[in-house]
Amino acid sequence: MKLLYTLKESQQQALSLKDGETIWYCVPVDLAFDNGEHSARTSYTDQTWIVVTEIRLMTLRGEEKTSEHLLSDCEKIKCEHQVGCGIVTVFPKQGLPECIARFSMRHIIRVAYAVRGAQTLVQAIQEGWSGSGNAYAVRENSTGESAFACDDISHGISGNREEESVRMVSRVESREYEKYCEKCGRALPGTSKCMYCDGKSEILKKFMALCGDFTGRLVAISLLLVLLAGINMFNPMVQRYFIDNALASGQGTLTDLWLFIGLTFALTVGGMACWIYRFWLCVKLGASLSMSLRAKLYYKIQVLSLAFINNRKPGELMNRVSRDTKQIRIFMEDVFGDMFSTLVTMFVSLIMMLIISWKMTLLSLVFVAAVLVIIRMFWHHIHTIFHKQWLRADDLSSNLQDILSGMRIVKSFGKEERESARFTEKTKAFAAIQKKNETFWAVFFPIMTFLLGVGTYIAIYFGGVQVLDGSMSVGQLVQFVTYSGYLFGPLSWMTHLPREVMQMLTSLNRIYDVLDEEPMLADKAESKAFPIEGAFTFEDVSFGYQTYEPVLEHISFSVKPGEMIGLVGASGTGKSTLINLIMRLYDVDQGKITLDGYDLRDVQMECLHSQIGVVLQETFLFSGTILANIRFAKQDATLEEVILAARAANAHDFICKTPDGYNTYVGEHGYNLSGGERQRIAIARAILNNPRILILDEATSALDTESEFLIQQALNRLVKGRTTFAIAHRLSTLRDADRLVVIDKHGVAEIGTHNELLEKQGIYYGLVNAQLRMSSGEK
Amino acid sequence: MEDNRENGMPDLLNLQEFDEEALRKESEEVLLMRLLTAENAVFTRTDGGFLALEFEEKKYDRVGVYLTFPLTNPREYISIREADEKAREIGMIRSLGDMPADVQDMIQEQVRLRYFMPVIRKVMEVKDEYGYAYWHVQTDFGSCRFTTHMGGDAVVALGDARYQITDIDGNRYELPDLYALTVMERKKLDLFI
Repeated sequence: MKLLYTLKESQQQALSLKDGETIWYCVPVDLAFDNGEHSARTSYTDQTWIVVTEIRLMTLRGEEKTSEHLLSDCEKIKCEHQVGCGIVTVFPKQGLPECIARFSMRHIIRVAYAVRGAQTLVQAIQEGWSGSGNAYAVRENSTGESAFACDDISHGISGNREEESVRMVSRVESREYEKYCEKCGRALPGTSKCMYCDGKSEILKKFMALCGDFTGRLVAISLLLVLLAGINMFNPMVQRYFIDNALASGQGTLTDLWLFIGLTFALTVGGMACWIYRFWLCVKLGASLSMSLRAKLYYKIQVLSLAFINNRKPGELMNRVSRDTKQIRIFMEDVFGDMFSTLVTMFVSLIMMLIISWKMTLLSLVFVAAVLVIIRMFWHHIHTIFHKQWLRADDLSSNLQDILSGMRIVKSFGKEERESARFTEKTKAFAAIQKKNETFWAVFFPIMTFLLGVGTYIAIYFGGVQVLDGSMSVGQLVQFVTYSGYLFGPLSWMTHLPREVMQMLTSLNRIYDVLDEEPMLADKAESKAFPIEGAFTFEDVSFGYQTYEPVLEHISFSVKPGEMIGLVGASGTGKSTLINLIMRLYDVDQGKITLDGYDLRDVQMECLHSQIGVVLQETFLFSGTILANIRFAKQDATLEEVILAARAANAHDFICKTPDGYNTYVGEHGYNLSGGERQRIAIARAILNNPRILILDEATSALDTESEFLIQQALNRLVKGRTTFAIAHRLSTLRDADRLVVIDKHGVAEIGTHNELLEKQGIYYGLVNAQLRMSSGEK
Repeated sequence: MEDNRENGMPDLLNLQEFDEEALRKESEEVLLMRLLTAENAVFTRTDGGFLALEFEEKKYDRVGVYLTFPLTNPREYISIREADEKAREIGMIRSLGDMPADVQDMIQEQVRLRYFMPVIRKVMEVKDEYGYAYWHVQTDFGSCRFTTHMGGDAVVALGDARYQITDIDGNRYELPDLYALTVMERKKLDLFI
């Protein structure tokens, strides 16, 4: 997404930039805001900009600067989401917050990024950045909290070891796509390129390359198409020859008749065989093509980072894998083959018709043009009524789903009557519209077919006149009529063609959008694989799922191999995010995480992930047997190993009691396991894999006391000797943690053993007490 | 080490008691409807374009104005909340009409700042193209072009003839009365209504 728009020369002058001052961010806003009166106006504006340089934040309306703030005077700059719009608020170091701009949802993402950029500048200035160059030094004391780089302040902290670290001010960049094409203004269907402006030929090229894998089949199809068109063309010639030389001349023999019937029969059967074979080939090609695309997509989506996947709506990627590839298959099956053979047939027919009689051809074409105009006129109407029907159907099914899934509530409030009346009303409406549409279609379509036929009547009339005065033979007339059938027959079908092609291109575009994405977290050539010890260090780590919304900031601490770290903090403070970073599902935005001294980004993903075991709150079991689920990470484990792992996880007993033991089918539609049982299978899975690093994310929440005890026991066995990161809401679970890290306000607030933290009487102390009170209250 | 824990206990309990008290108080307070009236609340405009409030001997530099029924009763039951992320409620205005004219103006200004839903006055053109509809309308904010999906969620009925249209950016537009439009304009909306 573009964050630096170019201003006109005159607008740049209005900003009166100082020497060396450059524009970092410049984004448009679209709602008029009176900066003098500080009030919103009821009008759109198209010439207002928010401009951020390294020292100032300004708004610009046309060629007039409407507000100006020195970044060094600002405490904070925020983009605040309102209802259906957003505002930019400046919090000065002295005085009250001030609103400086307002914009609709169209610009909110862009402005949010730009404001985030401005905020990083404000922060850098507060930390001692001078506004020139990208790097600046920050003095840090040994507790890892950053302090101002001013000498007098850091000298003041005596006893703390001071380190000077260099921080970079980097431009905030947005990886989000634009929603509209910059050139034509059309909406982009979740892709980076506009198909209308620059995507089409490129996509076709890629599609051709993909088809290259199936060259043999494509050649066979093209040959068949040519053959088919040839047969189609040849048939009328045979007819003409027979009529003129055998029938009309009166010199024909029975042999001629048999010959004609035989030839026509052979041509028809041959054509049919070709057609079937071609259809079969097309279906096969479509299936292989969509299969290969689907496999590529599936693989790519697995490889791509979670960041890419999270940027997209849930279900959208699923659509790309299933619906878009299906679209391609349908296109190849239904349209691709027909398209070329029909086009070739039509073209050749036209030429033959012109050769026979150009006058008659033009006459019938005029009529065809008229029909096309009529279809075109009705097209919008047809589209509208069927779209309406589709909308109603959609409405109906969502209504049905609503009621079915809310059945318990409907019943418990005794509202069955009302709901069924509502539903009946909706089905009635749908039935009415459907009836209307079908009636229309049943009338419209035959009329159009008839009208197209009228062209032929005219041709026959004029042709007949010519035959009567002898300037044309009967055979020629028959030939002409047959060709005109070839030409006009597919015309109404042709009107659908652009739509089908466009749909296919859209699908292709969306598919290639994923396929072309470079995986951000790819292994590099120099990535290392090694047996992991489990020593972690976090060095000034910052991260946010959205660049403009940091979740973790300046995290620094280190973990010894085999240590168990409990992560504590209120929900939404970033504990799970920290774990995502450890698992390297995301890369850090700033700073680095090292594992056994290597930057995590230089460790091979496979090596890292094969040595991490994860037990989450929501245990996901794949559809399959318990055995397959336990073996998930280590496919070649022996049955004995599996049983030992299950025993260690306290899972063996309940597995034995299930009807099919380890072969019991679980997952969707499978045997129903309780939450605690699923949890223990997940633990067995982790134990079997014998990981060096263990991650427990709320592994024992929402369980009854007995299961919790069993799981706690299993976990204690599991944790031994492994570097463990555990998140738990129930602090008692973290009893055995070697150290606790308290996360608050996006950073590490406290760190130490249970007792150290209690003595400190800080956040942890408060949390422990809250829980003590709660549990005593429960009793 | 055990001692430490033991020693900590009494203090902890006290602290907790205080916290719980506060929590209980807070949840009790939610039950209570605190009304802001012309007598007990003093609203003032701030230089920055926001609203300040003095209520029950407390001063708030900036308060948020939240409509509780923005679509049906925009002038009633207005919730006045603190400006931070928690947005705790300070009190409610039962009816804006009971407030003095200048306060009404101030509140309306804030509503105008916070809420954005242009009202469509005239439909110039609606063109559909491959899954998207491109609209050109006249609103009370001026001429506007926006894009919606062709799916069923783009246009939702709010009442008999009242509709809300949501574009792909998340902007919402109001069509207060379908029948106030001309026949030609209504025809353009055929696809959706």
